[in-house]
Amino acid sequence: MHPMEIIHSSRFYSFFQSDKERCFYIDLGQKTVRLSFCQLLSLRQKIRNIDIEDHFDGDGNKHGFEILALCNKEHLFILNTHEILDLKELLVGAFLVLDMGLSTSSIPQKI
Amino acid sequence: MKDIARQLMSIKVESMDMLNAQIQMEGKASASYLAMASWCDQHAYLQSAEFFYHQASEERSHMMKIFKFINDCGGNAMSPEITQINHDFSSLEEIFETALSQEVEVTKAINRIVAASKKNNDYAVENFLQWFVKEQLEEEKTMRDILDLFEIMGRDGIALKLIDERIKVE
Ligand SMILES: [Fe+2]
Ligand SMILES: [Fe+2]
Repeated sequence: MHPMEIIHSSRFYSFFQSDKERCFYIDLGQKTVRLSFCQLLSLRQKIRNIDIEDHFDGDGNKHGFEILALCNKEHLFILNTHEILDLKELLVGAFLVLDMGLSTSSIPQKI
Repeated sequence: MKDIARQLMSIKVESMDMLNAQIQMEGKASASYLAMASWCDQHAYLQSAEFFYHQASEERSHMMKIFKFINDCGGNAMSPEITQINHDFSSLEEIFETALSQEVEVTKAINRIVAASKKNNDYAVENFLQWFVKEQLEEEKTMRDILDLFEIMGRDGIALKLIDERIKVE
């Protein structure tokens, strides 16, 4: 692995950029995943589309787990409510630091 | 640190989200016009049916325009899931009323994205949407003009037939 620069950290996870490889890494605890920019966008969209309300509503998602397939299903993660929220936080922060996001988001969470 | 993300994508991620939502809206408008075309076809309003078939394909082309734009900017365009299309109408007039209110909703959504892109200094998005702003004016006018026909000609069987004959695909 080439030297990486840390972009942002949340409670559980860390987000890195590798200038040399022109890609990103997320340390998810169990393992570190390498993402191209496209894969990063797709991860962000997956996380955004998770309906977290479902975790608190008995009929929606009883167990409060989400299965997350990353990088065209190369990796599979099972995350609980706290971890999903933390990953959301990580990505919002990372995009902000990358100067691709807005500090005040006026946009609804789900399409 | 290199500006890798910015080099790979020319617009803000939030703009991309809003444009993806707009893709969904245009796709739904297309499907909804198709349902209207079907109703008109079944009720022998053939000109109106043609009109809505044409509208349906126009909305799809709007959707594709945004889709391509997102990808051209280096973003991730999402193919929309379209559900809950209404197929029940009680009259030809109701169809055109529904069409007008649908267009007004689209105009509002476009305006919201324009306003947000202005606020976020995302000028490429603002500029891209100018075409849609103009298009929406025309779309609203088309529907309003047709609705005026019902006021002028009335709503009985023969009037409806005459109205249908006056409906042209631009
Ligand atoms: Fe449209
Ligand atoms: Fe339209």
